[in-house]
Amino acid sequence: MAGIVIKNGYVFDPLNGIAGEQMDIYIDGGKIVEGIKGRKSKVINASGMTVMPGGVDIHSHIAGSKVNTGRSLRPEDHRKDAVPKTKYTRSGVGYSVPTTYVTGYRYAKMGYTTVIEPAVPPLKAKHTHEELSDTPIVDSGFLTLMDNNYLVMKYVRDDEFEKLKAFVAWLLRATRGYTIKVVNPGGVENWKWGGNVDGIDDEVKNFNITPREIIRGLVRAREELGLPHVVQLHASRLGVPGNYETTLKTMQCCEDIRPIGDREGVMHVVHVQFNSFAGESFADFRSGASEVADYVNKHKHVALDLGQVIFTDTTTMTGDGPWQYRLYKLTGNKWVNGDVELEAGSGVVPYTFKSSSPVNAVQWAIGLEVALLVEDPWRVYLTTDHPNGGPFIYYPKVMAWLMSEKARSDTLGEAHKWGSSRTALPSIDREYDFNEIAIVTRAGTAKALGLKNKGHLGVGADADVAIYDINPKKFEPSNYELVEKAFSAARYTVKDGEIVVKDGEVVASPIGRRFWVNVKVPEDIEEAVLGDIKEVFEKYYTVSLENYPVQDEYLLKPEEIRIDATAKW
Amino acid sequence: MAEIKVTLVTGRTADQGASLEIGKTSEEYRESVAVVELSKRDAEELGLSEGDPVKVKTDYGSVIVKGKISEKLNPGLSFMPYGPWVNQVIGSETHGTGMPFYKGLRASISSAKGASILTIEELANRLMRG
Amino acid sequence: MSTYENVVCPFCGCLCDDIEVTIEDGKIVRAKRTCKVALSKFLNHAENRIENPMVRKDGKLVPVSLGEAIDQSVEILVNSSWPLVYGLASTECDANRKAIELAELVGGVVDNTTSVCHGPTVLGFQDVGEPTATLGEIKNRADLVVFWGCNPAAAHIRHTARYSVSPKGLFTPEGRKHRTIVTVDVRETGMATISDLFIKIKPGMDFELLSALRATIKGHKMKNEDVAGVKMEEIGRVAEKMKTCKFGVIFFGLGLTMSKSKYMNMDALVCLVRELNAHTKFVALPMRGHYNVTGSCMVSSWLTGYPYAVDFSRGYPRYNPGEFTAVDVLAKGGVDAALIVASDPAASFPVEAARNLAKIPTIVMDPKITMTTLIGNIVIPVAVAGIECEGTAYRMDGVPIRLRKVVDPHEGVLPDSKILQMIIDRIRE
Repeated sequence: MAGIVIKNGYVFDPLNGIAGEQMDIYIDGGKIVEGIKGRKSKVINASGMTVMPGGVDIHSHIAGSKVNTGRSLRPEDHRKDAVPKTKYTRSGVGYSVPTTYVTGYRYAKMGYTTVIEPAVPPLKAKHTHEELSDTPIVDSGFLTLMDNNYLVMKYVRDDEFEKLKAFVAWLLRATRGYTIKVVNPGGVENWKWGGNVDGIDDEVKNFNITPREIIRGLVRAREELGLPHVVQLHASRLGVPGNYETTLKTMQCCEDIRPIGDREGVMHVVHVQFNSFAGESFADFRSGASEVADYVNKHKHVALDLGQVIFTDTTTMTGDGPWQYRLYKLTGNKWVNGDVELEAGSGVVPYTFKSSSPVNAVQWAIGLEVALLVEDPWRVYLTTDHPNGGPFIYYPKVMAWLMSEKARSDTLGEAHKWGSSRTALPSIDREYDFNEIAIVTRAGTAKALGLKNKGHLGVGADADVAIYDINPKKFEPSNYELVEKAFSAARYTVKDGEIVVKDGEVVASPIGRRFWVNVKVPEDIEEAVLGDIKEVFEKYYTVSLENYPVQDEYLLKPEEIRIDATAKW
Repeated sequence: MAEIKVTLVTGRTADQGASLEIGKTSEEYRESVAVVELSKRDAEELGLSEGDPVKVKTDYGSVIVKGKISEKLNPGLSFMPYGPWVNQVIGSETHGTGMPFYKGLRASISSAKGASILTIEELANRLMRG
Repeated sequence: MSTYENVVCPFCGCLCDDIEVTIEDGKIVRAKRTCKVALSKFLNHAENRIENPMVRKDGKLVPVSLGEAIDQSVEILVNSSWPLVYGLASTECDANRKAIELAELVGGVVDNTTSVCHGPTVLGFQDVGEPTATLGEIKNRADLVVFWGCNPAAAHIRHTARYSVSPKGLFTPEGRKHRTIVTVDVRETGMATISDLFIKIKPGMDFELLSALRATIKGHKMKNEDVAGVKMEEIGRVAEKMKTCKFGVIFFGLGLTMSKSKYMNMDALVCLVRELNAHTKFVALPMRGHYNVTGSCMVSSWLTGYPYAVDFSRGYPRYNPGEFTAVDVLAKGGVDAALIVASDPAASFPVEAARNLAKIPTIVMDPKITMTTLIGNIVIPVAVAGIECEGTAYRMDGVPIRLRKVVDPHEGVLPDSKILQMIIDRIRE
C-alpha cells in the first residue's frame, strides 16, 4: 500500500499534547511515521479540516447473544432503516440494533476505528466472536462478565483471593476477553430465583456474600493481575429513583484500593446516567448528577461513561436481568430474559425516550450534566451505552450538546420542563472544545483501555485517522449543526493506513483486529483452580470443559496482549 | 366401504429419526415412516389387523400407508410420523405464517387391502411428473 | 484406531457434547453415550452417500465433475429471476453465512427450516418476547418442569437425562425427586408415561388452556366447567403448582407451533410465563429441532436483521413470513429456481410445494440420497458437518459449541461452506 500524507489539517492529538496545530500527518506501512522519503504517496488535502485519531468506543453493545436477541426481536426497528448493498458494502439493516456489517460501516463513517463490546457471558463468548468476525473495519474486543459467576462468588465467599485471581485469568483466556465486566453483582444471581439486591450490602442468596465483596474482590484482582483496563462496573439499582446514593457507595467501596503502576483509576462506572437518579419515586424524580460529579471530581480512582439519552425509539439490553424485568413492568413492552447457567443474565426490552416525558427529560439532562460538571475530561467517556440510551449513530448529536450551550438550550426548550427545573443543566455554560471532544471519544478511551497504539497520532501508532470537514478555528458553538453534520460523515476515515471511508461513504472494508488479554499466573495456583473448574463442569454445567474455551478459529486477526502476573504474585 | 373420520397429528418418532440417518431410501425408513397409528377401537371399526394397508385421505390428497394399532390413542385421534407419505395429505396454505397445518387436521381413514405402499422413489417420480 | 472424546452430536437441538467416538480405518466403528438416533447418525454416516456430483441429462442424473456441477449451478442461479435458498439448519454456521451471502448476491430469498418448525415461536417472540434461560439453569434450579406439545422421548431423546428431568444440579441434588414433571399433550406420549401429571388436551385448544391458566393465576374466576377438555379443578391445581414452585419451566414444541392458532399459542404461553414471574421464577424454552436451526436463525439475524424468510430481491433484506417463507414461495409459485442445502423439502413439505420444487431447476447439496436429491437437477455431495468437517452450531438455548471433525470425507467431497464459496466466486467473475 502506498503511503498517505494528510496535509495541513488542524490536528487534535491530546495524548501527545497537540490541540489544533496545523500540521501534516504521515502514514506508511499502516503506521504513523515521521516522514515519507521519496516514495510515491497519496496526498489528502485536509486544509480547513479537523484531523483526529480514529474514534475509540469504550462501551457499546454491538455483538453477541443479547444483541442478536434484540435484532431478532425487532423487525419493526429494522424496517425503518433498510440498508441496500453497494459496490463496496453488504446490505443489512440499521437503527438501534444494526446488523454486523452495517455496524462496522456506520462506525467507520463516523470516523471510529475501535469498538469494545461491554458484556459477554463466557458460555456464549463464541457467539460474540462470530459476530465480531462479521463486523468489518473496526478493531474490537469485549469484556467478560464475571461478577455473578459461580466460582467467582465461591472464591469471594471462601476468601480465596489467590484462586480468584487465577480464575479471572483463566476466564479471560477461555473467552479471549479483554477485561472484567461487573453487572449488578449478586443481583443477577438473586434474579435467578426471582429476586434482586437493593444495595451493595444486601445479601446474595445461597452464597452469604454481598455485592460489595464481589466488587472489591474483582477490582483488587484486576489491580494485582495488571490487566490493561480497569473493571467496568454496571452499578446496582439501575433505573431506580434515588439510586445515585448506591452509585456513590459503589464508588466509595473501592476508595482504598491502590492502583498499580502509574495508573490512577481502579474502576469505571458505566452508563452513569442511568445510575444518577435522585428523588424517592418517579413523582419527585430529580437529577443526581451533581452529587455524582462532585464525588468524581474529588476522587481520582473512578472514571465514568455517560450513557447519554437520545430522544428516540431504541432497544434496551443489559446483563441486568432484574432491571430489564422491571422495565417490562413499567412499560408493558415485549420482554426477553436470558439467564446463563452459573455465569450471568441478560434482558432486552424496547423503549422510547420522549422529550415530552418528564422523567426522560431529566435523564437526558443527567448525562450531559455529568460530562459538563466532571472537570477532568480524561475520566469521562462519551457513550450512549448503545443502544440503551440511543443508537450510536447519534454520537455527533451528543458532541454538539457538549460543545454548544445553545444546542442544549434549544433541546431543553422543546423538552418537558422538568429537564430544566429538576436538573442543574440550564445553569451550566461550559462548552467542550475540540480537544476535549477528542479526549472523550478517542484519546481518553484508548488510554483507559491501555491500547498503546490507538487514540493518538504519535509515531508508531496504528494509522487510524479521522478527518472531519469542520474548521475548528472558525467554529462558533451556536452553529452546532455543523458539528453534527461533520462528525456524522467523515471526509476520510483511514484504518491501518488504508482509506476506508471517503466523503462519508465506505470504500473498503478490511477485517479488524480482535484484542484479547492472556495473563500468565503461577502454575501451582492455576492447577488448583483447574481442579475446581473441572469439578464445576462435571457437576453443574451442561457442556464439557473441553468444548468450553474459544478456539483459535474464532479470531480472524487476533492481537494477543500478554501479561505476566507471576512476578508480582 | 367403511371409513372413519379422525383428527390427524403428525410428529417425530425415535424410529423415524434413527432410520432417516441410515438413509431415506432405506427399507427401515419406509417401514417406520409410511405408517398411521390408529386407536384400537378405530381399527376394529375398520376391521383392520396390525400392518394392513390403509388409505388416509384429507382435502389435500390421499396416501396408502401401513396401519398400526396403538393403545395410547383415543378413538378419533390418529398419528403419522413426519415424512413424504403424510405430506401427500397436508395442504400448503400457511395463513400468512409460513407454517402449514401439520397437526390437528381432519382426515378420513379406510381400509385399502391389497393396495401397495409407494416407495420414496415412486413418490419422487410422481412429484416430477406433476 | 483412535478415540475422540467430547464429540458434539449433530442431530437435534440438544447438541450433546459428551459423545465418545472410535474410528478405525477412516470409519466410525463405535459411538458411546449416544441416543438411538445419534448412534445411527454416527455409525451410518458413510451409508447412502452421494458418490459424485450429478447433473440431470435427459431425465436421468449422470455423474459430472465438480467444476461442471458448479458451472451449471451458477447458470441456474444467475439466469433465475427469483431463486430460493433453503435448508441450512442441518449444517454449520459458516455454510449459513455463505448461503446468505449468495442469496444477497443473486437477489433471491433465503429461508431455513425454522419456517416449518418454530417459525410461529419466532412470530410470538416478536410480539411479546420470551423469558428464558440456558439449559443448565433447568438442571441446577428447576423444581417444576412442564412439557407442552413436545415429546423429548421421541425427538430430543437425552434431553430429560442431561437437562430437564433427572440430572442432579447445584440446587437440585436429589435429581428426579426434586422435580415435578407435567406433560400436556393430545395423546399419551413417552413423556406422558414418565411424568407426575399428564394433562390430555383436546387437539387445537392450547390457546384456550394457556389463557385459562393465566386467568386462574391472575385470580379471575371462570364460569366454565372445563376448558380444552380439562376440568377447571385440574386447571386450578396446575396453576397452583406453577405459582408455588421455586423455579418453573415450560418446554414447548411443535404441538403448539403446528396446530391451530400457531403463533398465537406462543403469545399465550409467553404471556402466561410473564405473569408467573410476578409470583416466582419461571422461564420458557422452545424445543428446537435440528441441531443448528438455532444457529441458522442466529446467523440470519446478525447478517440481515431477520431470523428467517428473508428476501433480497430489492438489494436489501426484507422479512415477511407467509410471503417469503419457503412453503409459500413454492406453493404459490414465484421462485423459479432453488438451492437446497442440508434439507429434504421434497419429503418434508406439503405435496403441492414439493411438486412445484420438482418443477423448477433445483440444485441440491447434501451428503446423502434424499427425496430432494432424487428430484434435483444438480446434486452435489458434501461433507457431514460435525463428523467430517468443523463449524459452529447453536444449541436450542443459544449456547454455541464447535462441531468436531473426526473422519475425513471421501476424496472430492467438500464442506457446504466451500461449495457455496466456489459458487459465489464463480458468480462474481
